[in-house]
Amino acid sequence: MTKTQIITARLALLALVLGLWQVLPSNNVINPLLLPPLGDVLSMLWTLLGQPRVHEAIATTALEVLVAFIIAVPVGATLGVIIAESPYLTAIFKPILFYVFSVPKSIFLPLFILVFGIGFPQKVAYAAFTTGFVVLMSAMAAVESVKADHILVARSYGATRGQILTRIYIPSMMPILLETIRIAMIFNFTGVMIAEMYASRTGIGHLIAGWGENFQMQQLFAGVILLAATAILFNEIIRSLEARCSTWRT
Amino acid sequence: MQHVANLADRRPQPEETAIEVAGLSHVYDGPDGGVPALQDITMSVGSGRFIVVVGPSGCGKTSLLMMLAGLRAQSRGTITCYGRPIPDPDPKRVGVIFQEASLFPWLTAVENVEFPLSLRGDPKDERRRRSEAMLELVGLQGFGARYPHELSGGMKQRVSIARGLIQDPPVLLMDEPFAALDEQTRMTMGHELLRIWNATRKTVVFITHSLTEAVYLADEVLVMSARPGRIIDRIPITLPRPRTYEMMATDVFGKLRDRIWQQIRQVP
Ligand SMILES: Nc1ncnc2c1ncn2[C@@H]1O[C@H](COP(=O)(O)OP(=O)(O)OP(=O)(O)O)[C@@H](O)[C@H]1O
Ligand SMILES: [Mg+2]
Repeated sequence: MTKTQIITARLALLALVLGLWQVLPSNNVINPLLLPPLGDVLSMLWTLLGQPRVHEAIATTALEVLVAFIIAVPVGATLGVIIAESPYLTAIFKPILFYVFSVPKSIFLPLFILVFGIGFPQKVAYAAFTTGFVVLMSAMAAVESVKADHILVARSYGATRGQILTRIYIPSMMPILLETIRIAMIFNFTGVMIAEMYASRTGIGHLIAGWGENFQMQQLFAGVILLAATAILFNEIIRSLEARCSTWRT
Repeated sequence: MQHVANLADRRPQPEETAIEVAGLSHVYDGPDGGVPALQDITMSVGSGRFIVVVGPSGCGKTSLLMMLAGLRAQSRGTITCYGRPIPDPDPKRVGVIFQEASLFPWLTAVENVEFPLSLRGDPKDERRRRSEAMLELVGLQGFGARYPHELSGGMKQRVSIARGLIQDPPVLLMDEPFAALDEQTRMTMGHELLRIWNATRKTVVFITHSLTEAVYLADEVLVMSARPGRIIDRIPITLPRPRTYEMMATDVFGKLRDRIWQQIRQVP
C-alpha cells in the first residue's frame, strides 16, 4: 500500500464513523437521547463556546493543566536524574518507586481533598503528583540511556562536569525526554480531569460530569469533542518535535 | 595543511621521553581482595615512537591505557607524561581513540571532530576550519555534514581519529581502534594511520589483538601476560619505513609475528 492509499483509507474510515454518527441517531437506529446526531453536537459545541461560563471553565482547566505541568516536569525530571545518577539512591528508591508506580494514583484523591480542599491547589497538586511520577520514572530511564562511552570520550577531552551535563547528558536524553513530555501531558490532563469530575466547582471536567449526571448528552458529547481535539493537538505538536530529533535517534 | 606543517616544525627530539611508567600496579575493588589487573609495569616510550601493546583478553591493556590517559587512577606506581604526572585527562598532552568510534549521534561528522575545540570555547569559524582540515587528513573531505549513522564503520573510525587528533596532542593512545572493522578496511586504516603518523610524528601507544597489525605498525611491540598483566617481552620491529603490504610476505615479518605468538601462547 502506498502512503496516499493509507491516508485515503484513514480518511474514509473517519468519514464513515462521523457519517454513521450523524445518520444512525437521526433515523432512530440509535436512540438520539443517548447519542445525539453529530450535527446537533457540533452546533451545541458552537453555542457552548459562546458562553462565559464555559470560557471560565476552559480558562480554569487550562491554567490547572499548565501549572501542574510546569511543576511536575522539572521536579520529576530533576529527582529522576538525581536518583539515577547515584548508585545508592537508585538501589534504595528504584524498587520502592516501582511498587508505588503500580498503584492507581486516583485512590489518593480523597487524601488530596482532605489536605488541599476542592479548589485550584488540589487540582494542581493531584495532577502534578500523578504526572511527576511518570516523569521521574522516564527521567531515570533517560539517564540510563546515556552511553558510558560518550561520557568517557568527553572526559578524555577534559570536559567539566557541567559540560558533560549539557553536551552529553541533555542531547543523549532528548529523545526520551520529548517522549516523556508528551506522555506527561496526557497524564497531566487526565489527572486534572479526574480531579475535576470527582469534586469541583468549576472546570471542564466539572461541567462534563454535571452534564452526564443531568443526562444532557449534546453538551456531554460537545465537551468530549473539545477535550479530545485539544489533547490530540498537543500530542501532535510534540510528536512533530520528536520527529525532528529522530534524524540521529538510530 | 598549514596545521600539519606547524607540527612538523616542533617535531620532538628522538631522545626525549614522552611516557614514563614505573612500578605500576592496579587492583580493582572487589570481594576476596579485589581483581589484580596490572602488576609492576615499567616502560618508557620515546617521543615520536609507535608502540604496540598485545596480550591475552582481560590482561589489563585497556586499564593501562586509561591510566596513561588520566581517566583512571592506578593503585600503585607512577606515570609521567612529558615529565609531569597525569592525574586527570589532559587533552593538551594526550588524545585517546577508543575501540568503538563512539561518535555522538546527535552531531554531524564535522561537529564531532570539532567537539574537543568547542569544549575549550574556540571561536566557531576557527574550529570549523581546523575540523574540515582534519577530515581532509583522514580522507573524508566532503563528508562533514553527514551524521554518524550515514557513515560506514571505517568512515566512523576515521572521524574518531580526526577527533582525537584535532587538539594536536603529542601523545595518541589507541585502544583496538580497528577491531570492529573487516580485515580489508582494517589493513587500509592501518596504512592510513601510518601515513598520518608520519605526517604528524606523534607518540602512539596502540593496543591490538592482531599480530600482523602489531608487526606492521610498530617500532616496538610490548607483550603482556595474562591477568595480572605484566610485560613479558619487548620486541623491537626493525623493518624499514615506510612499511608496505609486500613486507608482510617476507621472512623477517613472519619471524617477528612468530616470536610474539610464541610469547602469547606460553601464557598459562
Ligand atoms: N571497572 C572495573 N572494575 C572491576 N574490574 C575491572 C574493571 N575494568 C576491568 N576490570 C577487570 O580487569 C581486568 C583487565 O581488564 P581490561 O579491560 O583492562 O582488559 P583488556 O586487556 O583490555 O581486555 P580485552 O583485550 O578483552 O579488551 C579484567 O579481568 C576485567 O574484568
Ligand atoms: Mg580492552
